[in-house]
Amino acid sequence: MKNNGILIVLVLLAVSTAQAAETATRPSATMGEPGHDHAAMMRKAKTSWTLYPTLKVRMSGDSRATQVITLAPQNIVADVIEDYSNDLNDEKAHSKLPVGMGGAKFDRSAKGGFHMLAAREENGANVRVASTVYYNGERGAKNPTAMFMQQKHELEIIPQPQPREHSRYRANEDWKFMVRLNGKPLSGQKVYLETSNGSMSEFVSDAQGMFVMHVPDDFKAEEEGGQASAHNHGRRGADLVLATEYVEQGKSYLTALNSNYGPDAFDQRNLAKGAGFVLLGMLGAVPLLRKRKTEQKGEESDNA
Amino acid sequence: MLKTLFPTLGRVRFTVQILMLFLTVYGGALLGSYTVDRISQALPALSCAYDKTTGDHCILIVNQHLLHHRVGEALVNAQNFTLKVFIPVVMSVGIFFMFFFFLNKMFCGWVCPLGTVQELLYRIGRRLGRPLNRFNPKNVGRVRPVKWLMLLVLVLALPVMAGMGVVSNELGDPFCQVCPSRIATTLLTADSEQIAVRTSTTVNFALGALGNAMFGFIIIAALAARQPFCRICPLLSWNALFQKLSPMRLVKKDAHEKCEKCGVCEKACPMDIHEIGTQFGKKAFHEDCTLCGRCAEYCPDDDVIQIKFFGIRLFGSSREYYKKRVKLETPEGTQKKRVISIHPGKPKTENE
Repeated sequence: MKNNGILIVLVLLAVSTAQAAETATRPSATMGEPGHDHAAMMRKAKTSWTLYPTLKVRMSGDSRATQVITLAPQNIVADVIEDYSNDLNDEKAHSKLPVGMGGAKFDRSAKGGFHMLAAREENGANVRVASTVYYNGERGAKNPTAMFMQQKHELEIIPQPQPREHSRYRANEDWKFMVRLNGKPLSGQKVYLETSNGSMSEFVSDAQGMFVMHVPDDFKAEEEGGQASAHNHGRRGADLVLATEYVEQGKSYLTALNSNYGPDAFDQRNLAKGAGFVLLGMLGAVPLLRKRKTEQKGEESDNA
Repeated sequence: MLKTLFPTLGRVRFTVQILMLFLTVYGGALLGSYTVDRISQALPALSCAYDKTTGDHCILIVNQHLLHHRVGEALVNAQNFTLKVFIPVVMSVGIFFMFFFFLNKMFCGWVCPLGTVQELLYRIGRRLGRPLNRFNPKNVGRVRPVKWLMLLVLVLALPVMAGMGVVSNELGDPFCQVCPSRIATTLLTADSEQIAVRTSTTVNFALGALGNAMFGFIIIAALAARQPFCRICPLLSWNALFQKLSPMRLVKKDAHEKCEKCGVCEKACPMDIHEIGTQFGKKAFHEDCTLCGRCAEYCPDDDVIQIKFFGIRLFGSSREYYKKRVKLETPEGTQKKRVISIHPGKPKTENE
């Protein structure tokens, strides 16, 4: 009995789901208005697209050698930014970066890998936290799961997982997060998403405290790319923030996690043309599949 | 038990290849998203960083990024050389060499996911009765320099020039943009993004078109030729630079009179290394060798060809093994058709 030939099927999958952004009742992002400390006022740079507290990572300088990374708290007053490194065994695994006039300076040569950065503001019964994750590619990274899961604040939004190097949040993708209160998963908790492109949506955590963020596809077609540099490769990007609020025993907690995201994976790509070039290459190899006369007699040729 | 499951070195290698294919293509999904950071980002095999579920990253993307972001820029700012360039580059090459030291070019023949995909396609080609196209000793020399050209131009020169600002940033990782493993491994994860050519600039489009056409060519050519891309892969030449430094070696006797008339090992070699039949001693371990071990499997004389690690024999040719091996598969890789018996008992081949 003869064996049948083996078939390999390569499945091309393109999944895109549309989710309408809903305008919902938002937590009071502006609560806990600071006092009249002028230095504090300077440190609380306002960002126009959201009222939630955020930590903006800014890079300046033309090259890696001259590049300076600044962490700028926005919509929040904080004297320090707490830096949690993915290397928990390092003596500098948790450090505090003082916030100056322009923000806090991040020393990229000190620690590599994933960093959870957070600014905290306590004003009476209000606790507000702005957080973000920064990947420092300067040195090799360790598994950041333990660092992410380490309790840092009362109310937390934790990426499950964080996009790794060579990856980022992109439009039409779904990413999981966990909401925790005092280190325990918080179920049925509403989490709000806002983007600098104007989208707003709402998610609710499940019994395990998990929710799935659908990244909105809100880039305008005519939008020009950013300044091309060796670092960003001229990629388009926008900002998003996830925020949630919880009131417990008369104390109000507001926590936000912000990040950058990019357009859909197929933005500025053409699948039809790509497939066309693959077919062209395949056609070029077809002559190799034809049997020569000598081979038809059952011989295998030694000639290319 | 082990002998039943793994009767030949070829079966052992194929099993390892399939396991490594899953690790290098789906490892991140199976073992956790951050596996890629835990294992290494300097694998001496085409484990594509564009594959979002991969468990490891190929050394070539690290090389290109270092040359682009560090070396090129630092040549402009030479004062930062030690801290910003020398240490990161040494770290990257050092981690690569930690892997490479133990397995040498086995990374090509046993681990590389694209190598495995090409071998699977070649097996399908045998089943479909397609011809075998080979390079003979006269024309194989024409294709061999291409892998060095790929390394020098696409992996080394253009990324450095992009870092120096001489060419555009789109040429910062040009090899990745034409690498067929990028398309093959991402398609295996049902991700069609990489097959869609980038249309943002002419350079991006040209690189994408070239890469896609090469991918198409290779998956069809692999049905009728063995390891078509491996022959021009810059990782083959990159690994060849370190080949002599590893204790894992292919070793051939200094002289053996039967070799002149035999040549079965040459037929078994998927890289058309005719030197394995005509040369002896150190010269037989050619720069194109992927340490797949087929030459040792198909050598009909005892211990003429061996794979050794620190001088210890891991596998060696033998007459008895050869007899068993050719009953299952020809040196060219055509499997002897198996007869599926409807009666209970041991399955037989048509030749039996």
